[in-house]
Amino acid sequence: MEHYIGALIRWLLAPVVLIIAAIGLYWLFRAIGWSKRQAMGLAIVSPWIIGFVVFTAYPLLQSLYLSFTESNIFGGSKWVGLKNFNRLFTADIEFWSSVRITLLYALLSTPVGVIGALLIAMLLNNRIRGIGTYRTIYFLPAVLPEVAVALLWRWMFNSESGIINFVLSPLFKLTGSGVPDWFGDPDYVLPAFIIMSVWGIFGTNTVVFLAGLQGVPRSLYEAAEIDGATAFRKFIHVTVPQISPVILLQVIMGMIGALQVFTIAMFVRPTTGAGKFMNQLVYERGFAQLKMGEASAVAWVLFVIILLLTLLILRSSPLWVHYESEVKR
Amino acid sequence: MRRKWLLMLVFVMLASVFLAACGSSNSNGGNQNSGNSSGTNTSSGSSGSSGSSASKVTIRLATWAGENEAKELQQILDELNAKSDIYEIVQDSNPAEYDTRLITQLSGNSGPDLFWVSAQRAAQFAAEGIMLDITDQLNASGHDAAKVDDYYDGSLMPFSRDGRIYGLPWLQQPVMLYVNKSLFDEAGVEYPDGTWTWADFMDAANRLTIDDSGHHPGDPGFNADAIKQWGFTLNGWPPSQMFIWQNGGEVILEDFSESPIDTPEAVEALKFYAELINSPVTPSQQVIRDRGFDQMFRNKQVAMFMGGAADDLDSTVENVQAFMVPAGNGGIKATFADVLGMAINKKTKEPDAAFAALLDLTDAIHHWKIMPPRKSLSDLASLQELHPKKAHSLEAIIASMEFAKPYRYFDNYPEWDNVYWTQLMDPIVNGGADPEGLIPNVKRLLDETLK
Repeated sequence: MEHYIGALIRWLLAPVVLIIAAIGLYWLFRAIGWSKRQAMGLAIVSPWIIGFVVFTAYPLLQSLYLSFTESNIFGGSKWVGLKNFNRLFTADIEFWSSVRITLLYALLSTPVGVIGALLIAMLLNNRIRGIGTYRTIYFLPAVLPEVAVALLWRWMFNSESGIINFVLSPLFKLTGSGVPDWFGDPDYVLPAFIIMSVWGIFGTNTVVFLAGLQGVPRSLYEAAEIDGATAFRKFIHVTVPQISPVILLQVIMGMIGALQVFTIAMFVRPTTGAGKFMNQLVYERGFAQLKMGEASAVAWVLFVIILLLTLLILRSSPLWVHYESEVKR
Repeated sequence: MRRKWLLMLVFVMLASVFLAACGSSNSNGGNQNSGNSSGTNTSSGSSGSSGSSASKVTIRLATWAGENEAKELQQILDELNAKSDIYEIVQDSNPAEYDTRLITQLSGNSGPDLFWVSAQRAAQFAAEGIMLDITDQLNASGHDAAKVDDYYDGSLMPFSRDGRIYGLPWLQQPVMLYVNKSLFDEAGVEYPDGTWTWADFMDAANRLTIDDSGHHPGDPGFNADAIKQWGFTLNGWPPSQMFIWQNGGEVILEDFSESPIDTPEAVEALKFYAELINSPVTPSQQVIRDRGFDQMFRNKQVAMFMGGAADDLDSTVENVQAFMVPAGNGGIKATFADVLGMAINKKTKEPDAAFAALLDLTDAIHHWKIMPPRKSLSDLASLQELHPKKAHSLEAIIASMEFAKPYRYFDNYPEWDNVYWTQLMDPIVNGGADPEGLIPNVKRLLDETLK
C-alpha cells in the first residue's frame, strides 16, 4: 500500500511543482521587463515546454550522443566517434537489407494508403440515408488494438484456410504458381506487409480526407457542371486541387508512419530472409543485445531518412499542392 | 540580446530543477522498494529477527508469471512470509515485455530486490554487474538450496562467471521426445528406449509417416503431396545445437575463442537437420505455420514431437509419454536444457534479507515445478507424488537431466544467436539452403561476435 501512497503523492506533487515553476517564470519575465501579456503567455505554456525539454528534447539529444558511443543500457559509455555508423554502413549483416525493406515498404504502401483512404472518403461524402452509420463503421478499424489486428491478418494469410489465398486462388491457377507461403518465403514478405497496410486506409486517414472533401465549395462543382465537366473531370480539376494540401499532409504522415512500422512486424515475425524493419533493428540492438550505441545509430539513420524524404515531398509540393491564398511563384 | 540570454538561463535553471526533482523522486522510489519498515529498521538491518512482523523487511520480487502461475506463486509466498521473521516478499508479476521492463527498471535504479531471470539474460547481467555476487554467502549457508554441489552442472552455468555465482536456477527443463503411443501402436513401431540413436529415430519417423493410401516414404506409390500423418516435426525448434552436441560437435568452445561449426561432426549434424527439414517425414514449414506447430501433434497429425520437460503434452493429450531424445549415431547422449533462475539486484538496500528470501523461495519453487535442478530432489517416487499427471514421463525426464545442458551463454550471446539464426538456421529452415554452402561465412561471422 505504501507503494501506492508514495506514487500518489509524487503524482500530486508534479503539478504543484509545475505551477510553482510557472509562477516563478512569470515573475522572472516581469522582472526582466516583459509585458504582462507576454510573461503570462509563456508562464501558462511552460509546463508543456518543460515537458518537451525533459521528456523529448533531452532523450533526443542523449540518443544522438549515444550513437557516437559504445554503450549499454546499464550505463558506462565510451566515445567511439563514427565507429557505430561505420560498422552499420560497411560490416553489418542486417543493416542494408533492413533499409531496403523499410524504404520499399514505405514507398509502396503510402500510395495505397492515400489513394485508398481518399476513395473511401469520397464514398462516405455522399448524401445518402444512414451515412452516419457507414462513417462509424468505416472508422471502427482504427480503434482496434494493433496486436489483435496482426493476429487477424495472420489468420487471413493462412495458406490452407485463409481468405486471402482463397480470393487470390484464380490468379495463382492462371499463372500456374503454387500457393504462396506469405511469411515464410522472403519474396512474399513485402507484398504481405503491403496488403496488411490496407488496414491503415480506414480510420483517421479517411476522416481527415472526409473533412477536406467537405471543405470544397459546392459552387466550384456547379461551375464545372455548367461547363459540362464529367464526374471524372470534376474529380481531377476540382476535388484534387482543392484537397491537395490534405493529400500533402496524408502523404507525409503516411510515409513517416510506414517508415516506423514496428508492432505488426514484431508480432507476425516473418522469415528474416527478407530483412527486418529498421525499428525492429533498433529494438533488438537496444533491448536484446543491450547495445544502446548501435541502436541509437540505427535510429538516427532512420531519422535522417525520414527527414530527407519529408523534405523531398515538401520541396516538391509547390508543383502539385494548390493553396487558395497562394500567389503563383 | 541580453534578454535572450537571460531567457535561456532561466530555461536551463528550470530544466535542471525539474530533473533534480525527478532524480529525488526516483531515489524515493528506490527506498520504497524495501518498504517503509526497512526505513525505520536500518540500524538493526535485515538480520534483525525480533520476530515481530513490524521489523520485517519488504522484498520486491519481479517475475514473468502469468495470471494462474502468479496465483500459485502467491500461495507459496504467503507460506514463506508467514514463516519468516526477516522478510515479506511482495510479488510484482507481469509477463508482458518482462525483460524490457526489468532492464529499464534496473538501469533506472528502481529495480526490484529479487527477480526471475532467464539463462541468456543471466549471463548478460552477470557480465554487466547487475546481479549480486552470492558466492561467499552460499558457502557460508547451511540451507538446502545453497548446496552448490547438489545442482546439476549445466544449471549453474548461466549464473556463473569467473568462478563466482550470481544467482540460483529454479528450473532446468531438458528437451524430451514426446511420443503418441496410440500412433506407434497402430504402426507397429516399438516405443523409444534409452538406446535409440538417430538411425532408430529416422526409421520410426519413416514408418510413422503415412499418405492417404497408407504408403510410407520410400514405398512405391508413396504420394508426398497427400501425407495425412507425419513422423516428426521441426521448425528451428528443437535447436540444431542439440544435434551437433549429440554428434560430438560444439557450437561455442569452452574458452569462447571460436564457433567450430565447420568440424565434420557439426557439419554432419547440420546436414542431418536440413535433411529432416526437407524430408517427407516432417511437414513443410508452410503447413506447420498454417496448422500450428504443437497443435499438429495434439491433433494426431504428427507422431513425435520434441518439447521441454514441463510441457503439458503428456498430461493433456491422451496416450502421450515423454522419452529421452535419441542419441547421435555414435551413441553420444545430449539434450538442450532451458534454465530459469532468480537473482538479487546488486543495488538492493537489503542484501541479507534478499538472500534469505532467494534461498527459501528457490527451494520452494524446486518443490513446485518440473524439473528441479537439484540431484537430491530427483527422486522418482516423490516427484511422481508431486506431479501425478506427468508420473509416467518422469523416469525419462530424470534420466535426461544428467546429460542436459543450456547453451554456452556469454555477454554477447544475443548477437551470436542472431547471426546463427538469421544467417544459418533461417535459410536452412525457410529457404531450404544447403548448410555446407553457408557454414564458412557463418563461422566467420560467429567468430567475430566472440571477439
